[in-house]
Amino acid sequence: MIPIETHGLTKYYGSLCAVDHIDLEVGNEIFGLLGPNGSGKTTTVLMLTTLLRPTEGSALVCGHDVGREAQEVRRLISYVPQDMAVDIKLTGRENVALFAKLYGISRRDETIDRVLGMMDLSERADDLVRTYSGGMRRRLELAQALVHEPKVLFLDEPTIGLDVAARKKIWEHIGTLKSRGMTIFVTTHYMDEADHSCDRVAILDHGRVAAVDSPSHLKGLLGKDLISARISGEYCRDLPEGVTMMGGKENGEVVFSSEHASERVPELFRRLEEQGAVVHSLSVREPTLDDVFLALVGSREDGSAFDDHKFRTMLRRRG
Amino acid sequence: MKDIFYYFERDMLRWVRGRVSVISALVMPAAWLIFVGLALPTTFTENYIDFITPGILVLTMLGASLQGGSLLIFDKILGFLNKFLALPSSRESILFGKILFITARGLLQATVILLLALVLGASFLSPWSLVLTYAILALFGVLLSAFSTTIALYLSDHDAYAAFNAMVSMPLFFTSSALMPYSVMPAWLSALAYWNPVSYAIDAIRALQEGVLAWSRIGALLFLATVVVGISVRQFRKVTL
Ligand SMILES: Nc1ncnc2c1ncn2[C@@H]1O[C@H](COP(=O)(O)OP(=O)(O)O)[C@@H](O)[C@H]1O
Ligand SMILES: [Mg+2]
Repeated sequence: MIPIETHGLTKYYGSLCAVDHIDLEVGNEIFGLLGPNGSGKTTTVLMLTTLLRPTEGSALVCGHDVGREAQEVRRLISYVPQDMAVDIKLTGRENVALFAKLYGISRRDETIDRVLGMMDLSERADDLVRTYSGGMRRRLELAQALVHEPKVLFLDEPTIGLDVAARKKIWEHIGTLKSRGMTIFVTTHYMDEADHSCDRVAILDHGRVAAVDSPSHLKGLLGKDLISARISGEYCRDLPEGVTMMGGKENGEVVFSSEHASERVPELFRRLEEQGAVVHSLSVREPTLDDVFLALVGSREDGSAFDDHKFRTMLRRRG
Repeated sequence: MKDIFYYFERDMLRWVRGRVSVISALVMPAAWLIFVGLALPTTFTENYIDFITPGILVLTMLGASLQGGSLLIFDKILGFLNKFLALPSSRESILFGKILFITARGLLQATVILLLALVLGASFLSPWSLVLTYAILALFGVLLSAFSTTIALYLSDHDAYAAFNAMVSMPLFFTSSALMPYSVMPAWLSALAYWNPVSYAIDAIRALQEGVLAWSRIGALLFLATVVVGISVRQFRKVTL
């Protein structure tokens, strides 16, 4: 049974196409849906969790159509939305109990203890959630989602707004759930997190899937190394043969791709300085998923349209 | 069915633990009764407390029910509704949970008023009319909390809901028979007041003071409540975001 498959899944809000003919097949894995804010991640999750009707196309969860067999789908999944929705005036245990009751769990108390334990919340279970940290609240939501042992777990930006340690912990828990046989469909706009934790990712840009693969394979497409630079002034009209500018990131980093990157650094430096640019630093590093995104989608800040021509030519050169 | 109670229990726990809101909910209607009941000059009745109490009771249910719609707005804005809608449990139990909680809270407020009215010298209450008063208030509460909760399903934020609340509650109250009998109203107002659902409940409770069961008014209320709850259930079943 395929946990999730979509066929031309599409959602229009009026004339805005938020999700544009997505075809995905998700196996028993941690599958990451990546993209910047507004790229259509939440809309996709809402359709897969039966909360939003697709404008076109279809989606199946464990073989059940999200439109026609919504009730079946809801029995098999859990959904943790992007906004942290836990009742702060209730204790952790009461929050979980509500879901255990609504799911009609038999042996309720046992189950509640078990899921709270899984999420390392046993000690604080009877404190009001008001006193919980952001990371604990998120784990409490995971505990709520686990009471009925779902086949597929949907997590929309589970680490948003959390500090580094709390994020790491959430991802560890997600890994544990996967090892227990659950399929996890997770969205995030933190590329580095997906890089470490997802088995496969889909990169979403303006509602379209720009690439689907394992993070390592996607990074492999960019070659062994990239040149990362900090530059001010005019540049990039005349780059050395075989060096391509991939684009600039919000943090001011400019990324170039090239084979044998480290050997091209001196020449690139000379060219840039000849054009009157001031080079503050040039270094060679391994590609990250963020670079893949840059190559596929272009600069994140300008939100420029998907330029697959650039990516294709780059990939062709890599052979 | 049980799910209705679980949703009710959640709202009740949250309400009771916000102590200030409990106190304000119980003090506000009492203040109304005292100020409106004792401060207004009366020319058309001997015992103004007897006259005004049904109006204040129904006004309290009206306010409680309309304000209750904001519970769903918050559930929606904060993401709770999404989580509930993704559950296999039936969606109308979300609606019925709200109706149950909002109506129960309104009846609790009504009880404060009834007790205070007794202290202030109201004389109209026989035991059976008390039971019927609660029944009529509950029916009215179900009608309006179903209405406000379903409207809340379609409004996107709290400001929009507050605007809706103001737009509905003021006219409903002032064109009702709460503050004066039909006999002293101008003709246009008495026509308006007669068809106002708020008056159905007020008139039915006032009739109880005379020992009369006003079937046409209770029937109208029952009919309206059935229609509104029916529509609300349909909307909740089919809602997508
Ligand atoms: N209810 C809505 N009505 C209209 N437009 C919407 C609605 N929800 C989302 N959008 C738009 O759809 C696009 C995708 O949004 P969303 O799925 O929330 O993206 P993400 O979760 O990746 O940030 C955005 O351009 C957003 O403005
Ligand atoms: Mg989102």
